[in-house]
Amino acid sequence: MIRKYHVVAIPIRIVLNTFGDHNPNGMMYVLKENEQKIRDLVKKNPFSPIELVRPLVIRANEGEIVEILFENKLSFNTSMHFQNAEYDVCQSDGASVGLNEDSTVAPFDSTVYRIHAIKEGVYLFSDLGNPASGEKGSNSNGLLGSLFVEKRFSWWTDPETGKTMNSGVYADIHHPLLPSFREYAWIFHDEMEVNDLTGNRPINHLTNQEEESFHGANYRFEPINRRQQLIAEGVVCPNCEGEEVHHDSWVFGDPSTPILRGYVGDPARIRVIHGGVKETHVFHYHVHQWLSDPQDLSSEILDAQSTSPQTHYTIEPLYGLGSLQGSFGDAIIHCHLYPHFAAGMWGLNRVFNTLQDGSQCYPNGVPIKSLQPLPDRKAPPKPTKLKPGFPNFIPGKVGYKAPRPPLGIIGGRGLTELERNAAIENPKPGAVFTDPCPESAIDQVFNISLIELPITYNKQGWHDPKGRIYILDEDLEDVCSGKKEPEPLVFHATAHTSYHINFTNRLPHILDGDAFQLVTRTYETGCHVHFVKFDVLVNDGANVGWNYDSSVLPGETIQYKYYADVELKAWFFHDHLYPNAHQQHGVFGAGVVHPRFTKFLNSTTGEKTNYGTQITSLNPIIPDYRDFVLFVQDFALLFDKNGMPLNPPKFPGSNDDPGLFGVNYKNEPLQFRLGSDCDPAYTFSSYVNGDPITPILRAYEGDSIRIRLLQGSQEESHSLNIHGLRWLRERHNLNSKMEEQQHIGISESFTVETYIPRSGDYLWAFETEEDLWNGLWGLIRAYDEKVPDLIPLTDRPVPLKRSKPLPECNGKKPPRAADPTRMPVKNGPVRYFDVVAFQIPIMYNDYGDYDAHGIVFSLKEDMDAILKGTKRPEPLVIRGNVGDTVEVTVTSLLKKELFPFKDGIYPYPTVKQQAYYPPSLRISLHPQLIQYDVKTSAGETVGFNGDQTVGPGESRTYRWEVDAQVGSCGMWDMADIRNHKSQGAFGAFIAEPRGTEYLNPYTLEPVRTGASVILRNALLPDIREFVMIMHDGVRLLDKNDDVIIDPLAGVLLPPPPEEVEEVDTYDQGSRGFNYRNERLINRFLEKPVLHDLFSSRVFKDPATPLFESYVGDPVTIRLITPAERRRAHTFHLHGHRWRFEAMNINSRTESFSGFNIAGGNQNLELLGGAGAYKGFPGDYMYRSGNIMWDIEQGMWGIMRVYNELNKILPPLEE
Amino acid sequence: MTNLNAFGLINDKREDALVTHFKRNIGRRVFILTEAFPFMFIGEIKGVMEDIVALDVETTSVPALEGKEWKVHIDSIDVFYIETGIGAKIPHLKDNSVEDAT
Repeated sequence: MIRKYHVVAIPIRIVLNTFGDHNPNGMMYVLKENEQKIRDLVKKNPFSPIELVRPLVIRANEGEIVEILFENKLSFNTSMHFQNAEYDVCQSDGASVGLNEDSTVAPFDSTVYRIHAIKEGVYLFSDLGNPASGEKGSNSNGLLGSLFVEKRFSWWTDPETGKTMNSGVYADIHHPLLPSFREYAWIFHDEMEVNDLTGNRPINHLTNQEEESFHGANYRFEPINRRQQLIAEGVVCPNCEGEEVHHDSWVFGDPSTPILRGYVGDPARIRVIHGGVKETHVFHYHVHQWLSDPQDLSSEILDAQSTSPQTHYTIEPLYGLGSLQGSFGDAIIHCHLYPHFAAGMWGLNRVFNTLQDGSQCYPNGVPIKSLQPLPDRKAPPKPTKLKPGFPNFIPGKVGYKAPRPPLGIIGGRGLTELERNAAIENPKPGAVFTDPCPESAIDQVFNISLIELPITYNKQGWHDPKGRIYILDEDLEDVCSGKKEPEPLVFHATAHTSYHINFTNRLPHILDGDAFQLVTRTYETGCHVHFVKFDVLVNDGANVGWNYDSSVLPGETIQYKYYADVELKAWFFHDHLYPNAHQQHGVFGAGVVHPRFTKFLNSTTGEKTNYGTQITSLNPIIPDYRDFVLFVQDFALLFDKNGMPLNPPKFPGSNDDPGLFGVNYKNEPLQFRLGSDCDPAYTFSSYVNGDPITPILRAYEGDSIRIRLLQGSQEESHSLNIHGLRWLRERHNLNSKMEEQQHIGISESFTVETYIPRSGDYLWAFETEEDLWNGLWGLIRAYDEKVPDLIPLTDRPVPLKRSKPLPECNGKKPPRAADPTRMPVKNGPVRYFDVVAFQIPIMYNDYGDYDAHGIVFSLKEDMDAILKGTKRPEPLVIRGNVGDTVEVTVTSLLKKELFPFKDGIYPYPTVKQQAYYPPSLRISLHPQLIQYDVKTSAGETVGFNGDQTVGPGESRTYRWEVDAQVGSCGMWDMADIRNHKSQGAFGAFIAEPRGTEYLNPYTLEPVRTGASVILRNALLPDIREFVMIMHDGVRLLDKNDDVIIDPLAGVLLPPPPEEVEEVDTYDQGSRGFNYRNERLINRFLEKPVLHDLFSSRVFKDPATPLFESYVGDPVTIRLITPAERRRAHTFHLHGHRWRFEAMNINSRTESFSGFNIAGGNQNLELLGGAGAYKGFPGDYMYRSGNIMWDIEQGMWGIMRVYNELNKILPPLEE
Repeated sequence: MTNLNAFGLINDKREDALVTHFKRNIGRRVFILTEAFPFMFIGEIKGVMEDIVALDVETTSVPALEGKEWKVHIDSIDVFYIETGIGAKIPHLKDNSVEDAT
């Protein structure tokens, strides 16, 4: 079936909220039938949001062909590029890539795009005619939308009228066999131009500086700035501060941002789309949980999920709206990054418990629009005077803060008559309108307080004088008196637990001002929880919509009640009233829900316990395990020992990346780890500097461990890497991809479940350069023999009595690690690689942009050719097969004189807290995912392991075992993370199936290295393998030897110099694929036509790798991100899809891979091979999904798919 | 055909043996793992009807399913252990109470 739409791209003024904030230069896709109506409405209402002005969402069914007549009414070429779809890349790509025909559309012209909707899901579309990232670009101004592809035979109706509809962000989807469901589009976008009523950039009313950039959803945002102004002006709630009522509909009425409406129990799908250009956001949805892949029952359960630009996913809340407990009320949905949340990136899921037929009003008199019940579900009861339903039984007062909940506060009020009518039969504190806890659940009581105290983060006296932490009441005295170190509160219980929390607010009324912040009256706080079940109205620990304000005043205690129905990972908790003001001071904690019947012991004493970041868990059925919790935090507002602020913002109250980092309220900056020889190679050595102050996770060799990974604050992405231990991405699925790295955003929670195969010190690190530099690393220490202060696990062999003393810090260079090759080889065959590391300038493109001080690894046999210039330097890619032992001999040929900055202080790109760290001439090679003994072959010198780095002229052999078909593994140097890695000291190891040969794709000769090979295996078809290494943070010079200040130097159509904003440290530097980039600005300066910039008809092929194949060739992309900045990149390949879980036939299939950041690695097996199932030849762009500051800066290339025999490319064997 | 018959015979024999074994152990406690939800049962064998075992279930992975009689098809049992007095005892699992934890 062919489904047709007529879409027009138009310029439009987009009013973003009821305060009149607007984008005068907005752009949108609109159905032709609505174009004139929208234009008229906008003209008549220049300062009010128009309901029809929303990102275009159209729908089709699986298997259909969607024909779009696309008309362009903008002043430059635009297009619609669809993700996930299959299409003729020469006709419907919505771009002008390589040698393809141009499928962008000139102003006032039109074309037809023909899209094959192969599989159900989200088909994000956006413009690629104008790839500029700034205010003159198209994507940031709103030119984005989505095609939702539903199950075959589906149809859709308007939730308000019940009539069929052609477009709209909300729809009810129906099917002859399947349950109807509510479908909501939640389209994040960022960096849009915003003007206020006066036509100027909004000014923050507290700092009187320019307001944060736009962060919103569905063309709306509801910033705290605007709402707080109404308080300041005395319009509403004169006794309020601001942040605590930011989401309070009693004070302000409902926000302009999306309100997703439904009835209790309705099945629902939220299509979360990141249509923005720059930031990675974290989608968080109160009360509800979902599977990371709705089709895959063994996928992870989530309630907060990161999304990087141009990624998307579907959220199907488990048990429907209101979750298992059937909780009605307002569940807030927001980006959990607090500066974004405050900037207005939030909305509500409103779950009604009575029928809305249009005859009711909200408490402020605004009519409640009707909402059709889903046809296959029983309609909720009609509201009556005695039972008016949510929100009309709540005794609030419009214009004032929401009332406190009944029963919960000790000494607080009881129920009104209307509340009693709405309540369950036996309302209790914390469970008034629904009780999540079954009677048989085990009761656990925790008495928790929130306090303020100074926290010292490291040995150098960096400290937060206003640390704020959750603490168990029984620990108050010990922690406040200094007997016990403060750490994030983590308490432990088993599944089927009913939690009773007595939460006391012991904070001072005021958070004092300093170099970082303005004085804030943080007079009420709460405890908002994730994952567990609760009554959202009274127990959310928040103040949301028309709900109660479930926080308490200083000195008050409130009782919360939660239920953990099944084993969960760590559930995050934090304050929801003033998180933007004080969460970065430490206001976060976690509960861990363990398997039933688990008992928890203090790992040192063996005594029973139920809290702590390191405990021992015993279980009668499954193996005992050590349980560890790591909280990473950014925006840590620290002062040095002399009271000087560390990395303060330009003015107090600015959210412009202030402060530093911590993990469990500690950090161990590398600048303080240099020994007497000042060699960075020994930075991680405990011989030189002692153990770090950051957590050392202790266990015995062979122990099972679980590491609960959380991020407590505040705005940025981080990337945990654990060197030498790997785990399954989906814990319940043995076929799941193995990982050694995990991207994390605030409030996300992951469980690393693994075991420690051998004794030694394992490095864990948040491994983007700036994180690691500033101290986010520590150790996992596995003992080979008994130590007195660590109990053994009961189901493991008793550790042997200690035969040798434990090593100690002696301030000296660490001893050399043992030679692993002296042990007999356990598994053969053995592959040998002789690798040299040396310095050489690397040319990144034909415009003369180059890294003058590149450091590369190469096979020794290739070095001469590279030095002579007959072979271009590429990141080293080596391969081995399952069953192989790999011996890699690394030799350092680094020369001191070739390092540009002898003190290691780079003027650009920079990191926070730059300091003396002279380049090391030593080097090492650390691999991911394959097996080795960390004491000899980790390629790093860590803890009390021996030295595994090599100095100039020295060599060392590492022995690695390829025990599993893990595919992509990053490799990089660990001797000097400041002076080596961004300069190119990385590569890739690929673990292939047993018996595979690797052939040069052009000569068919066997090869030992190379990014593009044919894999030949007797049991498998020939496969083309393309290794793509995304990397950033590069210091490039242009052909005139001037430093390229990317990303800003690469911005197309830049704003005037006075409007240029500073770039965060983690955006600094150039970027590319495989030591190459094709910066669009170079092309633009040559020929300034935006839509031609990707064209090889106008320019040459780009400098980035050109990967060639024939239609239908099996293709596997190995995507690796070894280095190095904290900005996450999305990877997208046009016209192709792959399974998220390659080995899982039920896995979701997508055309993107999100949040590629230091340590990321993916194996992308293209479905249908090159040209996908439909087999269209042409040039397919691979690229970053970040319009802002990746694509312009050259992070793109071409996969060329031929349908006719090409002389230079032999076809694959049949 | 001979082979198919042989297969049939083997399967019949295997099933007969399991049925007989479970019948012999009626009244005893058993630990069962299944591939499908709820994955684990601990309880007493109450009876065997054809190839279905009736269990008085003390413990499963989900509290809501406990304290009830469940019928498990013998073919769905991946692993089992019957407490016969010889060998290890199947633990009596209890959810942690507050006293256990503190």
